[in-house]
Amino acid sequence: MSRETNSVEALAVPSYLDQTAEVSARFERIKQRPVILDVAQLSKSFSSPGRPPTVALDRVSFQVHRRELMCVIGPSGCGKSTLARLVAGLEPATGGEMLLDGKPIHGPGPDRGMVFQSYTLFPWLTVLKNVMFGMEVGSGMSSGEAEREARMWLEVVGLTKFAAAYPHQLSGGMKQRAAIARALANRPRMLLMDEPFGALDAQTRCQMQSYLLQIWRQVDITILFITHDLDEAVYLSDRILILDAHPGRVREVMEVAVPRPRSAEQFLSPAFVAARQHLEELIHPRAAQAADKLPVFRMTVVGDEVE
Amino acid sequence: MRGSWTRPLAGLSPRASGRFWAASFLGPVVLWCAVSYLPFLWHPMVRVSDPGDSAWLTTGELVDKAAFASENGDIVGRHGRAAAGRPANPVFLPAPHEVARALVTGFTTPPARPEEPWLHQALWHSIQVIFWGFLFSSLIGVPLGILCGALPAVGRLTEPFIEFFRYLPAPAFGALAVAVMGIEDAPKVAIIFIGTFFQQVLIIANTTRRIDPALLEAAETLGASRRALITKVVLPGIVVDVYTDMRVLLGWAWTYLIVAELIGVSSGITYFINQQGKYRAYDRVFASIILIGLIGLGTDLVLASLGRQLFPWMKTAREGWFSKTLARVRRGGRQAPPESAGGAPEEAAA
Repeated sequence: MSRETNSVEALAVPSYLDQTAEVSARFERIKQRPVILDVAQLSKSFSSPGRPPTVALDRVSFQVHRRELMCVIGPSGCGKSTLARLVAGLEPATGGEMLLDGKPIHGPGPDRGMVFQSYTLFPWLTVLKNVMFGMEVGSGMSSGEAEREARMWLEVVGLTKFAAAYPHQLSGGMKQRAAIARALANRPRMLLMDEPFGALDAQTRCQMQSYLLQIWRQVDITILFITHDLDEAVYLSDRILILDAHPGRVREVMEVAVPRPRSAEQFLSPAFVAARQHLEELIHPRAAQAADKLPVFRMTVVGDEVE
Repeated sequence: MRGSWTRPLAGLSPRASGRFWAASFLGPVVLWCAVSYLPFLWHPMVRVSDPGDSAWLTTGELVDKAAFASENGDIVGRHGRAAAGRPANPVFLPAPHEVARALVTGFTTPPARPEEPWLHQALWHSIQVIFWGFLFSSLIGVPLGILCGALPAVGRLTEPFIEFFRYLPAPAFGALAVAVMGIEDAPKVAIIFIGTFFQQVLIIANTTRRIDPALLEAAETLGASRRALITKVVLPGIVVDVYTDMRVLLGWAWTYLIVAELIGVSSGITYFINQQGKYRAYDRVFASIILIGLIGLGTDLVLASLGRQLFPWMKTAREGWFSKTLARVRRGGRQAPPESAGGAPEEAAA
């Protein structure tokens, strides 16, 4: 029953590859821009004694252009978080190469800001001091200058009123906005976001996605965004890097044909639905869905059906 | 509302919390009063008020109940006048009012012999021994513990030996400490040090290891150097827990006090208690023991209250005279630098 309606819908939506002239022109422009992040043949395997090593990423290659917003998506275990951590320099790769502006990446640095899924504001610092942290500790800016910059960034993320608050006084969404401000205040070349909205409720998540697009539009920043939420990926991305699991390999780099600027109304537009369906098929194939059936037998009286 | 405190981990209202706090002290005190003032509870002795025709009982003497009964039996057999007396507790269990009186008079009564210390002198001496022992231990133990926790190499290099050493009972080093440091206060401070230091390093190291690694990673992506990771992330990240650890450790240091003070020339509150024991002034013995408890508990309550004011980012943080003074000192310090060059002085201070 439900499968039939799906296929009827599928008939109505265009191919995810169909792009309007405007959208293709935009992708042409993006490709003209310089490459900020160049990942080539990147591999990562975890070895524990007495066991065969687990391959998290297997020869992953892709490029991100300046001011592009790329999402990385894939089934759980595809190594998408590992990818972000490797680019951030928090873990060493076991093979391959990563270039940022043509220079190889060794270890973490202020040129790649990161926003984590878990809240990582420093609990002992006020929101203002958190945003100042990178500028003072990392770049050695004077505290007066850092404070001016930090206040500017708090205004960008709409937290001016909470400059003197401590992190525990903020809601989850506000914490992540402060974390974004803290990362951007450092003026990184790239912003890495590892499922930053994963712990937020659905409403706040939508709001945060809209905030992120507004910020990205106004700031010279290239974003690599890790997510497992298909809607989020389509809504935010220029292109989506789709990974396979076990081992993590590049399945496809997909251009999202949904025109910009994006808005919540587009969730129902044919281009959006097409892109989403394509993702769905790659990540949750039909065959796997059939296997999802639980062997639950009837434990209620006949005639007491709920659906 | 009915009995919400029977639910595991249920929160207590401040009022209920205060009542339970008071009850935890009232319980033992009531028990002590009952044993002391209810003649039918325990009271294994008899305080003789009238010896009667007894050949050996004297007025005011404390005798075993059975001995008193058999003596009276003998007297009645001889048709003599029976001795009279009231049930009493042994001399080593004074009644609460006697101890309360000793608590007050302890400070006003001069010592029995001129070379003995007054109660307050004895206490002050003990507090100094604790203070120096704990201070020396913390000066080395806290930085070392933090290094052990923060840098696995340092931890691996020191902790196994410390793990072994902490099982050696501190008092066992008494003879050695006296041989090396003489018989005055130095060996006593050393025993407090030995008793505290090794636990301290391990506990602080464990606390340090509990810091959220994501905070370190976040700092790294913000460009923090390795040194800054320790000074700007690890230290502020663990300071609240270290403060709590220190309160617990200070309590442990007190438990080593009595043994420490027996080493070399007995001194401080230990010497005072022993002297009072010799004079069979058990009310003063009790009073001294209670004083140790009061000092310990009082210190901890003060430290807990200071802690709530010291760390304004904690959920339990509170404003108070201490935090206000701190803020004033900080503001005062902030006003000076702008005349000099930018924020450079602050960086140097950090």
